[in-house]
Amino acid sequence: MSIMSYNGAAIMAMTGKDCVAIASDLRFGIQAQTVSMNFQKVFEMGPRLYIGLAGLATDVQTVAQRLKFRINLYELRENRRIKPKTLMSVVSNLLYERRFGPYFTEPVIAGLDPKTGQPFIASLDLIGCPMITEDFVVSGTCSEQMYGMCESLWEPDMSPEVLFEAISQALLNAVDRDAVSGWGAIVHIIEKDKVTTKTLKARMD
Amino acid sequence: MTERYSFSLTTFSPSGKLVQIEYALAAVAAGAPSVGIKATNGVVLASEKKHKSVLYDEHSIHKVELITKNIGIVYSGMGPDYRVLVRNARKLAQQYFLTYQEQIPTLQMVQRIANVMQEYTQSGGVRPFGVSLLIAGWDEDEERPYLYQCDPSGAYFAWKATAMGKNYINGKTFLEKRYSEDLELEDAVHTAILTLKESFEGQMTEDNIEIGICNQDGFRRLNPTEVKDYLGAIA
Amino acid sequence: MQMDPGLHKGEGYQYGPNPKQHYFSPYSMNGGTVLAIAGEDFAVVASDTRLSEGFSIHTRDSPKTYQLTNSTVLGCTGFHGDVLTVTKLLEARLKMYKNEHNRQMSTSAIAAMLSTVLYYRRFFPYYVYNIIGGLDDEGKGAVYSFDPIGSYEREAYRAGGTASSMLQPLLDNQIGFKNQEGVTKVPLSKEKAVFLVKDVFISAAERDIYTGDNIMIHVTTKDGTETEVFPLRRD
Repeated sequence: MSIMSYNGAAIMAMTGKDCVAIASDLRFGIQAQTVSMNFQKVFEMGPRLYIGLAGLATDVQTVAQRLKFRINLYELRENRRIKPKTLMSVVSNLLYERRFGPYFTEPVIAGLDPKTGQPFIASLDLIGCPMITEDFVVSGTCSEQMYGMCESLWEPDMSPEVLFEAISQALLNAVDRDAVSGWGAIVHIIEKDKVTTKTLKARMD
Repeated sequence: MTERYSFSLTTFSPSGKLVQIEYALAAVAAGAPSVGIKATNGVVLASEKKHKSVLYDEHSIHKVELITKNIGIVYSGMGPDYRVLVRNARKLAQQYFLTYQEQIPTLQMVQRIANVMQEYTQSGGVRPFGVSLLIAGWDEDEERPYLYQCDPSGAYFAWKATAMGKNYINGKTFLEKRYSEDLELEDAVHTAILTLKESFEGQMTEDNIEIGICNQDGFRRLNPTEVKDYLGAIA
Repeated sequence: MQMDPGLHKGEGYQYGPNPKQHYFSPYSMNGGTVLAIAGEDFAVVASDTRLSEGFSIHTRDSPKTYQLTNSTVLGCTGFHGDVLTVTKLLEARLKMYKNEHNRQMSTSAIAAMLSTVLYYRRFFPYYVYNIIGGLDDEGKGAVYSFDPIGSYEREAYRAGGTASSMLQPLLDNQIGFKNQEGVTKVPLSKEKAVFLVKDVFISAAERDIYTGDNIMIHVTTKDGTETEVFPLRRD
């Protein structure tokens, strides 16, 4: 069995009009056995900047901590907020430094540019190859299911309310066809002047 | 072996001074003058580049150098030391780009160069740099120009306008009189030339001064024809 | 250095002290996606028409749907060799049934028979994913889905083949009304079913390299089967 699916996870990010959303499931399990139903996989890296980490849970937490460490230093050194795109480069570097003994985690980044407010989403593979898209990115054990849902539900220029509905439905229906993800979900809707966080009522089986 | 017993040459005197640094500053003060002026829409760097013999090919070696597309520097003091710093600065800028996929901001460049210069005041087996730098940059994020000076001690300053090298006190006095907050880049180039001219011995030509300008299009060294045009406009 | 003793012993054959192992794989995967939806008085069975192996496309015109009787359509993907064998076998068995019983086999009976046909090869299975769509004895829409060794169940809708994991969650959502609160569960119309089939296949063709070219859609009612071909992306 692959290390990437040892704990199970589902994370996706979507763009809307002047807003982005990032969502994850909440399960932490060891193979088929569910251990926790409230496991954090999406981390705040700035006021309008989030990163979701799918993969081996121990690496998820380590990468989140080491990334926060680098960003804190960056922001102190440069006395400014980090841009989503710059964060992506930092993550890419962090992961590629372990090219031959990687962290088993594939990140998803969602945020708004601190100056322009432009929506940004990206995903990386476990050794740091970045991919920026205009519509949506997914990561985790049910990526195929998520692609299927996103490909049908996403449309351009969604309002925050419509975006919330789209990403929630996309995530919930995808994880219901995956045995190792699900058990609750959390969604962050990121707008210029506020971030709305909602936990979803989901199938718990 | 050499590392274990190579103590820093820069040692405190009983009065608390680091005389090695003062000697370095003396080397700078004896060097060819440089001027930097920040305008509303850009920065200008200018430097005297006199040659001892007419046989020198004066357009093959430069004092004004490009570090990144948006940052350029010039020096007063020792040429060989300067070239070490230019190499270092360019490498630091590219290292920054490699990590962040983003051009290094001017202040970051200054801090990192200053860090190198400071290390050379405290490391073993080395001496301080015999140069002061003027660093001109255009910050793409904030859309504004910057002008910094960096000394052998590692101290750095942000200037509206300044002069370094031989006769720098006269240069600064001149700038204090001529500088205004709403100066535009074109005028700043003229002021820079005039500042150099204050202490210039002999005829000033496009072959014995060098000028660099920095604005939203980036940093670039003026070619001799452009310098000649500016000189013509003054005379 | 020791040379391999088998290397210089002639052209077409080798011998020597070291045995050489050869491999043969009886299976390959030719891709493709099938989908069946049961309505109140109709059934839709659809498949794409691409046949591929690895990164090559064998043909863009190979539907994976098979009209078994007037009221039953089979969708069959996986290893194309086994697909041909299974469908040929089924057609023979259907003919034998008709000759013996003087009537067409019912959809439920075909499903039961297919299960035994598949399980007969329990330890050297046909590498095929089957989905049957048709009308049951009462004229209601019926879908039966199978695994390669004959486990089967009757369902309202099912996707099979390479893009099944992309289609199935959307069908859960749009036909099964999963994860939707406070919606009136209106019975599925033929038009809505065909529209959904096209929609999900378009999505699948975006991401699955084994799905594309065309969809063949069969809509079975008491009046027989209507077939439609709908274009998909061909890259």
